[in-house]
Amino acid sequence: MAGSLPLDGSNADYEAIPDPMAPLLDNYLLTPYTLRSIEVHGATQTRRGLLDHVLNPIIEESAKGPTTLGELRARLTQASNKLSRFDIFQPDRILVSVVDQGQPGPQSAIPELDVSISVWEQSRLLLRGGTDFGNAEGSAYTRAIFRNIFGGAETLAIDASAGTRTRSAYNATFSTPLNGNPDVRLAVDALRSSTRKPWASHEEHLTGGNFRLGWQTKAGDDHSLAYSGVWRQLTNLAAGASPAVRDDAGDSLKSSVTHTFIRDRRDRSGPLRQSGYILRTESELAGWGPLKGDVSFLKSELHLNGATPLTLPGVSVGGGFRVGILYPLGFGFSLPGRGIRPSRINDRFLLGGPTDVRGFQIGGLGPRDGQDAVGGDVFAAGGVNMLLPVPRTGPSSPFRIQVFANGGRLVAFKNKGKAKEEGVSSTLDSRTVLDGMKSAVGELVSGLPSLSAGVGLVYAHHIARFELNFSLPLVARSGEEVRKGLQVGVGINFL
Amino acid sequence: MSTKSVRSWMPPIPRPLERLFNSVPLLTYDANELPARAQSSTASDIPTLYVFSTEEDARKGLPSFNPKCLKWQTFLKLSKIPFNIIPSTNHASPTSQLPFLLPARKPSPTASKPPGGIEPIPSSKLEDWVLSQKQKDQASPEKQDEKFHPRQEAYQSLLDVPLRNSWLYTLYLDPTNSNLVEKLYIHPSSSSLWIRATLRHQLRRAAESAILTTTHSVSSGGPLKGFAHGVVHPDEIYRSAKEALEALAYELSIDNRGAEGNTGWFFGATEPGLFDAEVFAYVYLMVRFFSRPESAEGEKESGEEETKLWLGDLVRQAGNGELVGHMNRILELTWPDLVVRDA
Repeated sequence: MAGSLPLDGSNADYEAIPDPMAPLLDNYLLTPYTLRSIEVHGATQTRRGLLDHVLNPIIEESAKGPTTLGELRARLTQASNKLSRFDIFQPDRILVSVVDQGQPGPQSAIPELDVSISVWEQSRLLLRGGTDFGNAEGSAYTRAIFRNIFGGAETLAIDASAGTRTRSAYNATFSTPLNGNPDVRLAVDALRSSTRKPWASHEEHLTGGNFRLGWQTKAGDDHSLAYSGVWRQLTNLAAGASPAVRDDAGDSLKSSVTHTFIRDRRDRSGPLRQSGYILRTESELAGWGPLKGDVSFLKSELHLNGATPLTLPGVSVGGGFRVGILYPLGFGFSLPGRGIRPSRINDRFLLGGPTDVRGFQIGGLGPRDGQDAVGGDVFAAGGVNMLLPVPRTGPSSPFRIQVFANGGRLVAFKNKGKAKEEGVSSTLDSRTVLDGMKSAVGELVSGLPSLSAGVGLVYAHHIARFELNFSLPLVARSGEEVRKGLQVGVGINFL
Repeated sequence: MSTKSVRSWMPPIPRPLERLFNSVPLLTYDANELPARAQSSTASDIPTLYVFSTEEDARKGLPSFNPKCLKWQTFLKLSKIPFNIIPSTNHASPTSQLPFLLPARKPSPTASKPPGGIEPIPSSKLEDWVLSQKQKDQASPEKQDEKFHPRQEAYQSLLDVPLRNSWLYTLYLDPTNSNLVEKLYIHPSSSSLWIRATLRHQLRRAAESAILTTTHSVSSGGPLKGFAHGVVHPDEIYRSAKEALEALAYELSIDNRGAEGNTGWFFGATEPGLFDAEVFAYVYLMVRFFSRPESAEGEKESGEEETKLWLGDLVRQAGNGELVGHMNRILELTWPDLVVRDA
């Protein structure tokens, strides 16, 4: 008698479905078996080594002695999940079948099993073109992805794009799983771009690269650790550019190590994400010690967004919170007395805009020199919103009415009048920096934050979220660029 | 501002809405303070000249090491206009070239308001700006611009081509001066070896092409033929520079003796003008950076390397030292501490 038990690798929730035949199945799954062979079909371009990494654990476990069908099934499910995460096989088409030989093997009285895994490889070259929506930017791109280049699930992606803000951007990324583990990837990235920064009257040209190690924990949290070296050139200043921007024009090299952590526990059932939370932290150490470069600082940011559904269908309340600090450091190999340099415009934070603190222009919050948003070293921003279904379309549609209030503060590090006395003095000592940062943090909570409130329409699409809001500023600092009335926001991450 | 942009594609804002817009924000605090790096430059209430310089030199107001920047720095000093200088890069300039001047900011109406924007003045418009400032102060029409001397145009071309080329060649292309270029232009830009290497290459290429374009454009029959093949000939540059310096020294000497009086300035002017400032800029920098060191003179006699251009020595040897005299006269008016005594 030959039985076949198909296992669908991509369906991890299989066990959750109540099954009237469960007792019978349980009995069946506890039957001891030995594994005789595993065959993989269809992986013609894939290296044996990669498959070994995934399948060897199963063979090793089985070699220790007889296993039950249930154990084997769990291991095979895990293996096929792993295979699908390499992103080289067509998803939902990884078929695992187990064939019971129906008779004991020559060595023992326990029946043997043959496992066969069928996969369909995705095409190795993928060319794509289209439009992208980033935060407050639209762009057109072309992308070439070379999959599984050396048969070990290595990917090379080459992008070229141009858009409303990005004059041009070229990017090439080579990434490979480490040790046959799809959850640990090493990537090398090279980039060159030039971007308009109209809120600060300049263009920034970037040339650089980075090494990135990304891994996913068992709990599903993403980490990445990257080293990057980027040559930044601030150039093509507008005629009315302010002295603050002119001072920072020119070249600088940022050499930094960045750790990023993402815990996404949002509801994946729809693009509206009306329950759960997402936490994102980013910490960057630049120029310190062996890193060198022209800038030296510690920059940390935390973003937290969450929502919880109310009892009425389609109604939820949500909130968002963001904080960040940029702390200037001394150079590891600096000459004595060279001191600490205050931050540059391209390292400082910006705050405000349709995807950020709504009711303000892009970079509308915080210090300004003339018409330029020159950014700040410390910020905190928060918002609350309530989503309501649009009458007649109902809770299942991707449209919602939104009522929101949000606000924030962006403050620059202060050098308490010392620089003015000494003329053009560009370095500080660590004591001054500490005092300056303390007073900047203190400034964050002095008085009400700049605030705005409004209502709007939200359309959630799986690529991006669109918002049309009517908002009014309630509290602002003199010179901050408020936006009264309608504002359109397109982006992925909103406050 | 935002309401204006809405109006452009929407019907006029209804009255009640406009009233609502005018009533918000309900609370307005004082403006945010600027970041530390920006505080010193924006606090100034006198004009700022952006030049190539070091931070320390800039604080003391010492001469820039770039001829074009020094020309305007000198001219502004000669015009007795108070100004600060800030070390900068070409990227900061509206014309992608230093120097340029940022006029003083008009004080904002209230202290709580952030400072307003100001338009920079590129070097091409600096002379007009200086004249307008002088007229404002003296309330008497300035005659200087009418006295454009007929010989000036011819002499200007000596500065624009042979003198400039010799400066470009000596500083950027003569390998014996590479340390100087590093110190003056490359090291201040970035501490990164990669950026420095790229800038070094760009500077050399720019200097080379600047020399070749000028020599090309005048190569038809001029004294500079022989450059037409896209190769820089140091001997030619050296010879032309020598001729130009001799000519400038001669012009000074005839003006000194001539009927126009012993003013000591070019073209018999009563006061040093822009042309004097430009000659001074080259002469001063050539003497400062490219004078043959005393100790090395003995070795040079043995004639081991004749390609090295000691431009400072050419300046001293031109005529009967009129150029050094001229330089010192300008220094007396601008940086009296820097007058070269030994000459």
